[in-house]
Amino acid sequence: MQQKSKVVLVGVATFVLLIWALITIIPLYWMIIGSFQDSAASASFNPRFIPDSWSIAPYERFFNKTNAFRWLFNSLFVSGVLTVTNVFLASLAGYAFAKLKFPGNKSVFWILLSTMMIPSQVTLIPLYVLIINIFSLGDTYTAIILPSLVTVGNIFLMKQYMSSLPTSLIHAARIDACSEFGIFYKIILPIAKPGLAVLAIFTFVAQWNEFFWPLLVTRSSSMRTIQVGLASFKFAESTDYGAIMAGATVGALPMIILFFALQKYFLQGITVGAVKG
Amino acid sequence: MARVVFNNVRKEFVDEKKGTFTAVENSEFVIEDKEFVVFVGPSGCGKTTSLRMIAGLERQTSGDIIIGDRIVNDLHPKDRDIAMVFQDYALYPHMTIRENLSFGLKNLKKSKAEIEQQVKQASSILGLDELLERKPRELSGGQRQRVAVGRAIVRNPQVFLFDEPLSNLDAKLRIQMRVELAELHKRLGATIVYVTHDQVEAMTLGERIVVMSNGIIQQIAPPTELYNKPNNMFVAGFIGSPAMNFMDATIENGKAFVEGAQIALPQAVADGLKSYEGKKIIVGIRPEHLYGEEFAHTVSKEHTMDVTVQVIENLGADNLLYFKVGSRMVTARVHPETIARLGERKRLVIDISKLHFFDPETTQRIALS
Ligand SMILES: Nc1ncnc2c1ncn2[C@@H]1O[C@H](COP(=O)(O)OP(=O)(O)O)[C@@H](O)[C@H]1O
Ligand SMILES: [Mg+2]
Repeated sequence: MQQKSKVVLVGVATFVLLIWALITIIPLYWMIIGSFQDSAASASFNPRFIPDSWSIAPYERFFNKTNAFRWLFNSLFVSGVLTVTNVFLASLAGYAFAKLKFPGNKSVFWILLSTMMIPSQVTLIPLYVLIINIFSLGDTYTAIILPSLVTVGNIFLMKQYMSSLPTSLIHAARIDACSEFGIFYKIILPIAKPGLAVLAIFTFVAQWNEFFWPLLVTRSSSMRTIQVGLASFKFAESTDYGAIMAGATVGALPMIILFFALQKYFLQGITVGAVKG
Repeated sequence: MARVVFNNVRKEFVDEKKGTFTAVENSEFVIEDKEFVVFVGPSGCGKTTSLRMIAGLERQTSGDIIIGDRIVNDLHPKDRDIAMVFQDYALYPHMTIRENLSFGLKNLKKSKAEIEQQVKQASSILGLDELLERKPRELSGGQRQRVAVGRAIVRNPQVFLFDEPLSNLDAKLRIQMRVELAELHKRLGATIVYVTHDQVEAMTLGERIVVMSNGIIQQIAPPTELYNKPNNMFVAGFIGSPAMNFMDATIENGKAFVEGAQIALPQAVADGLKSYEGKKIIVGIRPEHLYGEEFAHTVSKEHTMDVTVQVIENLGADNLLYFKVGSRMVTARVHPETIARLGERKRLVIDISKLHFFDPETTQRIALS
């Protein structure tokens, strides 16, 4: 009896997930297919579900008419820098909050955490004023990067993760004459690798897809990230859907590759913090 | 020359829930150079905290700690000339066994040749030669345990600190490692402070044993003295297995009256208990000092008690008889061929020379001069 109901359950679950997967994949499929159709078909934006002809013309138009390579570089640069700073600073702070005794450990952590309760829209204008008007950083990489050097959410995540690492390793290293920074660098970072990898990937993806802030603080086309660039391109060439699809594909491609290359870590990301290390 | 001395050491923790909480109270002891001392007590009694204070991983709230000739109160762990073996081994999981062993020496900026030499020596003592290039996760529990000991040995410290090093091993391996540790102590000639909650481990390993309960040292003594002259009812009940029996008694005319028996006490004992004449007292007797009547060859059959047997456990080498005296359950460990039936009366012989007496108010041993 039990065996039978289990089979039914698995069947239903598979069916639901299949539908869900289809719903998720169809827009992606549409985007990719659309980007390979010639301009006539694209102009009406009525691409065939199974195209009868393939063309890379939309890609040529996209790359010729825009600063696409620069945008891609900008995105890569900004996301890369922010990934490094977030991983390093969040793990450093998380480790300190989780494992080190210092006066005000708890209160500082709670103050930090409470800032997560403030919606980002509230701080957006003051932040804008600070970066653009007071620091005069408009239209620079610094303006895009500075506010996100390390996020409180990431510090929190790392604190939770670091708490799960055995304290006796830290004690052992201390007795083994390792310096405090050495303990972090030689013991904690290596054993926290799975957690750091998850943090790195999620940060990179989030930053790659970031739209609003880079839009606010950049003006010139050469400073735009790919997401902001795509948006501006859309406004200018509102009819060339093929090229837009090509651009969107180019913008999404790194994430798709990243996902398949690091699938293992994405799955881990869901359980990080839940499992004891 | 490395004694370890605690002078009135106290450790408080400030806990959110419990408030200020004293984990170790007025701890005083002298561990002599090259001595093997075991701290024993139930979980949470402050053993690990004591060990961590020696190591310098926790700072005592007050009092002085001396290692060798130095007051080490504010000395960093690396400067205390100690090494520690942790309960969970705490091997660095991303390093090979060789790297684990040499990590501390590298940090101390020792020469390559010296590191090589030390690692080689430790690994041959502990039989780790084949494992040096492996990672900890590729080792069995017993092998990891050896590596943890090895990591302490290579430092060549004055004092070794062990925190329940055998508690994660299965019973058979634990006995084997216990023997190895005793041999190691002879070979290294270093001071060893060893923490365990297992009284058998304590009795077999320790030259002296420190019994702790609730952060307070109850007694410091060699194993036989702990067994023969426990300071108080806690130590008496903690050391020895099955635990010592306690019976409520009254002293009258040099006799101890317990339910079911009337024990005439030897003159010296009766004299010692004079001040308790007519008062309540607690009599302690270990299960192995009660005999079935027919097997009481080694003791006089003068003193007996009649009991109703409630439970019989056959351990092979011995039988355990359980019965009630007053409201307390009492155990006798008797010869396996002793005739006893459930629910029937049985006459037991008491080895009168092995009685212990405790004050019911203070639970302290009554000294019989
Ligand atoms: N860092 C700490 N903070 C608060 N309380 C602690 C801390 N370390 C130990 N304690 C408390 O001190 C008491 C003694 O702990 P411990 O020395 O680890 O006992 P054990 O004898 O089992 O090794 C326990 O009640 C424990 O909860
Ligand atoms: Mg402990």
